[in-house]
Amino acid sequence: MIPTNQTIEPDDRQLVETIRAGDPGAFEVLVRRKTSKVYSLCYRIIGNAEDAKDISQLVFIKLWENLEKYDPQYAFDTWLYRMVTNVAIDFMRNKQSRDNAVNSNLRLVKTSFDAEQGVVIQRKEVESVFNAVSSCLSPKQKTIFVMNQMDDMPSSEIAKVLGCRESTVRNHLFNARKLMQLQLKKQFPEYSRLWKEQQ
Amino acid sequence: MISCNAFRANLRPGSSEPELLEHLRHCDACLDHAVGVDPDFLFRSIGGEELVPPGGVEAFTHDVMQQLHVRTTESRLAHRVLSWPRRLAVAATIAAGITGAAVVWQHEQHTFESLPPIAAATPKPVSHMAAAAPLTTKPVVETYDSKNATIVEVPSEGSNDVKVVMIFDDQLPADL
Repeated sequence: MIPTNQTIEPDDRQLVETIRAGDPGAFEVLVRRKTSKVYSLCYRIIGNAEDAKDISQLVFIKLWENLEKYDPQYAFDTWLYRMVTNVAIDFMRNKQSRDNAVNSNLRLVKTSFDAEQGVVIQRKEVESVFNAVSSCLSPKQKTIFVMNQMDDMPSSEIAKVLGCRESTVRNHLFNARKLMQLQLKKQFPEYSRLWKEQQ
Repeated sequence: MISCNAFRANLRPGSSEPELLEHLRHCDACLDHAVGVDPDFLFRSIGGEELVPPGGVEAFTHDVMQQLHVRTTESRLAHRVLSWPRRLAVAATIAAGITGAAVVWQHEQHTFESLPPIAAATPKPVSHMAAAAPLTTKPVVETYDSKNATIVEVPSEGSNDVKVVMIFDDQLPADL
């Protein structure tokens, strides 16, 4: 057998077992490994870097506190995503009750025009348009839309994360698209025209 | 990443192949084309890459671990000061002290209440002069006969009381 210096990194389940055995260093490894995934999802759901950072930290603290409840027969990421969506949805519900749709009055200025379509899409604008338009969605609808359209998760996986049926996820997606089209028409008619022409 | 030509040639409404989505999310030139094919690509173009929190992953991890350390220390201290066995021990000590004091007080109260019958049996307090006179050491005179004596009876308070008689006689023996 050929000796090797390559160290094999433990998978998520093994890390959880090590943490449960009382090694806090293993938890640090887990945080480092999952930070980008957790933060990306939080940022896309919440749409604000600082809030997303705070929510991500809260997710990891809850993760530490509830690690004993994790059942290793399920995928760790599914369990982690469930925690992220729960915390993010709670945060959005609280925020909605405080200030309803901060971005509802946002109106972007077009930077240039296309002769045929009337608008040239700027990638940076798309994020702002999404934040403005998605404010009409419920926290759950927005979470499902983000997971499906931006994190490329299939509806079956989303159903596992949220603990609901796949048909429920598809319904939420359908309603989210409809609501966003209406908002797009109201707030950004140039984009809406583009959408309508193609559908 | 695939070329723009390959992307445009293969893109269909609802496409979700990873290489097509990767191109969509990195090529500004093809974004207009993609939205023209399927408007859903407008928002699909946002996702994909993993983001880094402000300050970087290391700083974020450090913050999380520090918060956990603070929480763990707090809960440990709280556990040390307010542990249930300790609380129970303190409560039991206080309860035992109160009960003991109550029992002692009740016992003393009972003893004091039972004193009056004993006090009634004792002689009534007499005047200082009477108590000082050595009357009890003298023999009780039941009968006395004399022609020269002057006998004075002192009126008593109750009918059962012993009658006190004062005798003045020059010939009275010294021991009476």
